[in-house]
Amino acid sequence: MAETPIKARKRLDLKTPSKPLSSPSFLPPQTPNTQTPSRHFIPPSIESTPTRRSSRRLSLHSDDLNLTPEKPIKQTTPKTLAKSPKTPKSTRKSKLSSTQTEKVSTQEPIHPKSPALSEKRKRKSGDGLGNAVKTRARAQNVPKKRVYYKKVVFDGCEFVVGDDVYVKRRENASSDDEDPEVEECRVCFRGGRGLMIECDDCLGGFHLKCLKPPLKEVPEDDWTCGFCEAKKLGKEVQLPMPPKGKKRARTLREKLLSSDLWAARIESIWKEVDRTYWFRAHWYMIPEETAAGRQPHNLRRELYRTNDFADAEANDPLSLLLQMESVIRHCYVMSPKEFAKARNEGDDVFFCEYEYDIRWHSFRDSQRSMMKKSDDDDDSASDEDWKSTKDPVSESEEDTDFEDEIEKKKPRGPSSQELAANSRKGRIFGLQKIGTKSIPKHVRCHKQTELERAKQTLLLATLPKSLPCRDKEMEEISTFIKGAICDDQCLGRCLYIHGVPGTGKTMSVLAVMRSLKSELDSGSIKPYSFVEINGLKLATAENIYRVIYEALSGHRVSWKKALHFLNERFSEGKQVGKGVNKPCILLIDELDLLVTRNQSVLYNILDWPTRPNSKLIVIGIANTMDLPEKLLPRISSRMGIHRLCFGPYTYQQLQEIIMSRLKGIDAFDKQAVEFASRKVAAISGDARRALEICRRAAEIADYRVKNQSSPADTTSVGKTNVGMTDVEAAIQEMFQAPHIQVIRNSSKMGKIFLAGMVHELYKTGMAETTFEKLAFAVSCFCTSNGEQFPGCDTLLRVGCKLGECRIIICEPGSRHRLQKLQLNFPSDDVAFALKDCQELPWLAKYL
Amino acid sequence: MASFDDNTQFVIGMLRECGLAHKTIIIVLDEFHRFAQGKQRLLYSLLDAMQSVTSQAVVIGISCRLDADQLLEKRVRSRLSHRKLLFCPPSKEELDRLLECLLSLPVSSSLPQSYIVEFNKELRKILADKKFKDTIDTLLSSDSTVDQILRFLFLSVSSMDLKTGILSVENFMTAVVRMNRQPKLECTKDCSILELYILVCMKRLEMREQVSYNFNSIMKEYKAIHDSFQTPDYYARNVCIRAFEHLLQCELISFMDNRRNNQSIEFRPVKLLISPYELHQGLKLNQSCPTILQKLMDQIGKRS
Repeated sequence: MAETPIKARKRLDLKTPSKPLSSPSFLPPQTPNTQTPSRHFIPPSIESTPTRRSSRRLSLHSDDLNLTPEKPIKQTTPKTLAKSPKTPKSTRKSKLSSTQTEKVSTQEPIHPKSPALSEKRKRKSGDGLGNAVKTRARAQNVPKKRVYYKKVVFDGCEFVVGDDVYVKRRENASSDDEDPEVEECRVCFRGGRGLMIECDDCLGGFHLKCLKPPLKEVPEDDWTCGFCEAKKLGKEVQLPMPPKGKKRARTLREKLLSSDLWAARIESIWKEVDRTYWFRAHWYMIPEETAAGRQPHNLRRELYRTNDFADAEANDPLSLLLQMESVIRHCYVMSPKEFAKARNEGDDVFFCEYEYDIRWHSFRDSQRSMMKKSDDDDDSASDEDWKSTKDPVSESEEDTDFEDEIEKKKPRGPSSQELAANSRKGRIFGLQKIGTKSIPKHVRCHKQTELERAKQTLLLATLPKSLPCRDKEMEEISTFIKGAICDDQCLGRCLYIHGVPGTGKTMSVLAVMRSLKSELDSGSIKPYSFVEINGLKLATAENIYRVIYEALSGHRVSWKKALHFLNERFSEGKQVGKGVNKPCILLIDELDLLVTRNQSVLYNILDWPTRPNSKLIVIGIANTMDLPEKLLPRISSRMGIHRLCFGPYTYQQLQEIIMSRLKGIDAFDKQAVEFASRKVAAISGDARRALEICRRAAEIADYRVKNQSSPADTTSVGKTNVGMTDVEAAIQEMFQAPHIQVIRNSSKMGKIFLAGMVHELYKTGMAETTFEKLAFAVSCFCTSNGEQFPGCDTLLRVGCKLGECRIIICEPGSRHRLQKLQLNFPSDDVAFALKDCQELPWLAKYL
Repeated sequence: MASFDDNTQFVIGMLRECGLAHKTIIIVLDEFHRFAQGKQRLLYSLLDAMQSVTSQAVVIGISCRLDADQLLEKRVRSRLSHRKLLFCPPSKEELDRLLECLLSLPVSSSLPQSYIVEFNKELRKILADKKFKDTIDTLLSSDSTVDQILRFLFLSVSSMDLKTGILSVENFMTAVVRMNRQPKLECTKDCSILELYILVCMKRLEMREQVSYNFNSIMKEYKAIHDSFQTPDYYARNVCIRAFEHLLQCELISFMDNRRNNQSIEFRPVKLLISPYELHQGLKLNQSCPTILQKLMDQIGKRS
C-alpha cells in the first residue's frame, strides 16, 4: 500500500540517527536538540557597525565595513569550531558584502557568443516590481529570442544558476521594505552592541548581557533560552514586549520560516524578448507547509526541496514571482554535509536533507542528488569556497574573499560534468543549463525560404496542427473512453487497435486524450488518470507493473510488489495513494511485446478490467491484426471483443495529410504530392514514408535551386517549386536497391564469380552450389577467355567478400571446398548488372 | 546500474535539451546490422526519439551489408528515413589519383628537399610504368577496395630498399605476390611424404564415390597401395595417426561434423578440403614427392 506521509516521516525518523556519517565531523547525532549553533556575536570595538549580518544594501555604501571587525572573529572562532564542528558558526557573514564591489567590476562573460552575458542592472532600493519599464528603455540590441544566462548581476548582486535565493510572496510584497540587517535582541530590542547568542529552539537572538543570569561567554554546546526552557516545562511564558512605537523588525529568515517568503533554487535564468528577466526554480518548503506539518524531529532551519518546478510557462498565478525582480537576495540551503561544515554564512543558512514530492506528499532522501548538484554547480556554498577560509593562516577577510572570487571564476569545465549517465541512475539533473548557450547570430537572422519552411513542417517531429483522415477512428476511440469513464459504474473495458506502422494509431489515441484533457479542464467530465506505456521501452514485460504503479502512486517498488498492489487496487478496489480511485486509462503501445511464455502479464492486465470496481480501461496498440487469435483463448476472449482497425492510408488520404501540413506554404506542385502519395499508398500506405519522401524531394529541389542560382543569379529564378522530377528522384533514392550498383562496381574476379554462380544456377537448376563446383566453372571461364585464374584461395576470398555484403549467402570460409553458396538476389538482377560490362565483354555469353 | 528505461529517458531528455540549445548530436552506429538483432529496442527508441522530439540529432548506421534495412522489424523500418549512401570502390581515375596522393612525399616535410624531389620523380616514373600497372591490375582483379590498396601499399613501402630510399617497381611486384598467397597450395607443398600418401588415399576413396570415410578406411587404402605397388614408405599406424592429426591442424582435411562427441578421431568421418586440382599442383611442386603418387594422381585426373 502506498506509504502515507506519516509513515514516511516515521521511516525518516528511524533513519535519522543512522544517517550516513561518512566523515568524522558528523559526530553529533542529528536530533534537533543537539544541533547547536553556538553563536556568539562579538561587538565591534568602536563603531556600532553590525557584524552579525550584513546586507548588500548596507555594504554598498559602507565599504569600510569589511575593514575592521572580522579579524578578531576569525581568530576566535577556530577554537569553538574544533569542538563542535557540526554547527553553523556564529561569525557568519554574508559573503556578498565584502566582495560586492569587485564582482561588479570584474564581470566576466562566460559565453562569448551571446550579446551581453552577465548584465548588470540596478534597482532603486526597495521598489520591487516597478522598474521593468526602466529596463526596457535601456534595451540596446533586442534579441529575438530568449537569452539564457549563467550569471546575472541584478540589482548589484550576482545570481548564478544553482544559487538559492529568497523570493517574495506577492501578497505581502509591501512588507519586504524592512529588511533588518541586524537581528535585534529579544530582550532589549536593540541590535548590535555586544555579543549575541542564538537560541537553538526559537532561533531568537539574545545579548549575552541581557540574559538572566548574564553569560560570560558562549557555551560550547546547545543552548536554549530561558523562555523556551520554560515553555518546555509547560509554564506560561510572557515574552518581553517591544517598547511602544517600535515594531519588531523581522529578518528575512524569520519571514521565510513563517512562510511570508519563499526560498528557491535557481535552475536557469533568461531574458525574455521584452527584456524582463525570468528564472526557473525549485521551491523549498518549510516543514509547516508539507502535508505532514512540522514534526518534532525537524530542525528549526530545515527546509524541504520540492519537485515543484515553478515554471513561468505554466500559467499558474505564481508565475509572476519568477521575474528576477521578486528575488530578494541569496540564502544558503545546504545539504547536511555542507551544513556541518558551514561557519559564517550569516543568518540565511538553511538545512535541507529531504525532497518533498508535492504531488504524492511523500519524502525522499534528496541528499544524494543534492550532493551531486552542489558538486558540479557553482554553488556559492560549495565546499571549495570554504577550504580557503579554513586555512589556519588567518588573513584578513577581504583577501580571502577575493581569493574565493578568483577560484570561482576558474572555468569549471567538463571535468566536473563528465559523469556517465549511469552514475545518476538515469535521473537528470541540471539539464536546464544546457539551454543557456546562445544561438549563433547567423542562424537567428537567417530568413527561411519557402522550401526550408516546407522541410520544417514535413519533419516527422513537428506535431501537425490538425490530424486529418482519422476522424472516424478518433470519434470511435473517444466514445469508447467517454462511455467507459462517464459511466457511473465505470466498468472496465478493453480496446485493441491494430494497423500497419505509420497509420497514426498512437497519434490518434494521444490526440483523443488531449481533447479529453481539455474537457477535463473545463469540468465537463470526471477526473481520470492516464498512463501511457510503450512495450518496447520496458526492460522486461513484467516491468509494466512497476511502471503502472509508479504512475498511479508515485512510488517505485519492485514489479512483484507492484503487481500485488495493483491486484489489490483493481480486483479488490483498495486505494492506491491518496484520494479516491479515479478511473484509469492505460495505453499500451506495441502490445505484442508483452507476450511472455505463459502470457501471464497480458492476462493480468486484461483481466483487471473485467473485475467489478476496477475502473480500468485498457487500450492496446499493435501492428498485427491477429494478435488476439495467437494468444491463449482466455486472453483473446478478454481482448478480442472490441477492436479498431487502422487501415493503410489511401493515396487521397496521404495527399490530404501532406497538403494539410503544407498549408500556407507554396513549395510543392500538386501533382508532385499526388505522385508521392500514390507511390507510397501502392507500397505500404505508411504516412511516415510519404512525409519522408516529400521532405527528401524538397531537399533535392533546394539543392537544385541553389546550384542553379550560383552561376546565373538572375536568369533561373523561375522554377523553385518541388516538381515531379524531384519527387521521382527522391523515390528512386529511397526505393532503389543498391545491389545492382554494387555488383557493377565489384572487382573483376567478383564479377566472374557471380557470373559463375548464375551459370551454375542455370545449368543445374538448383539455387545452392558448392565452392568446388563454382571454382571449376570459374577456372573454365578464365582459361577459355584468356584470363588468368588467380587460384582457389584467392577465389575463396573473393567469395567471402561478396558474402560479407550479402550479395551471396555463404557458409564460413573455413569450409573451403565444401562451402555452400547461394545468390541473395534474383539471378536476373545479377545477369542484368553483368551483361553490359565493358571490362569483361565475354561474360554476356554465359548469362 | 540504471535500467534501460531510465537510460532511454535520459537520452531523450538530453536530446530535447540539446535541441533547445541548438546543439547537434550525431549518433553513429557502426556495424549497424548487429543492432538489428533481438527486439531492436535500442533502434526503436532512438529512431522514435528522432521523430518525437524536436532535436538536432542524426543517427547514422554503418554496415557492410546491403540488406541491413531488411533486417529491421516493420515498426522500426517505418521509423527509418531510408536514406542510403553507397560507398563504392574507387574507379580507375580515382585510383590513380589515390595512389599518387598516398605515395608521394609532401613538399613541406622535414626531409631534405633534394630527396623529396628525387623520390617524387622516381614515383611518377613508376606510376607510368606498364609493369606497375599490370601489378595493380592483378591486385585489384580480386579485390578493389581501398582497404586492400592500403595494405598493398604498406607492404610495398616496407620492402623498400633502405640504402637508396627510393621505391622501385620490384617492391610492388613482391608485395603483390605476398598479397596473393595460396595458403592451401603452399601447405601441400610442405607436406611430408606420409601426409601426401594420406591425401592421395583420401582422393582415391572419393573417386570411388565413397561418401563417408574415416581414418581406418584411409589406412586400409594406404595398405592396399603399399601392397599393390610395393612402395618403400610404409609407416606404423601410430605414426600415420600423427600425420593425420597434423593434416587436420593444417585444415587440409576436416571432420564432417562439428559435434564433439567422444568418438576417437580414428572413427570420425573426415573430408578432404582441397580440390584435386590443388592437390595435383601441390604434388608437382613438392620435391620429395614419390613418383608413384604423381602417377596415381594422373590416373585420377584422366578418369575424371
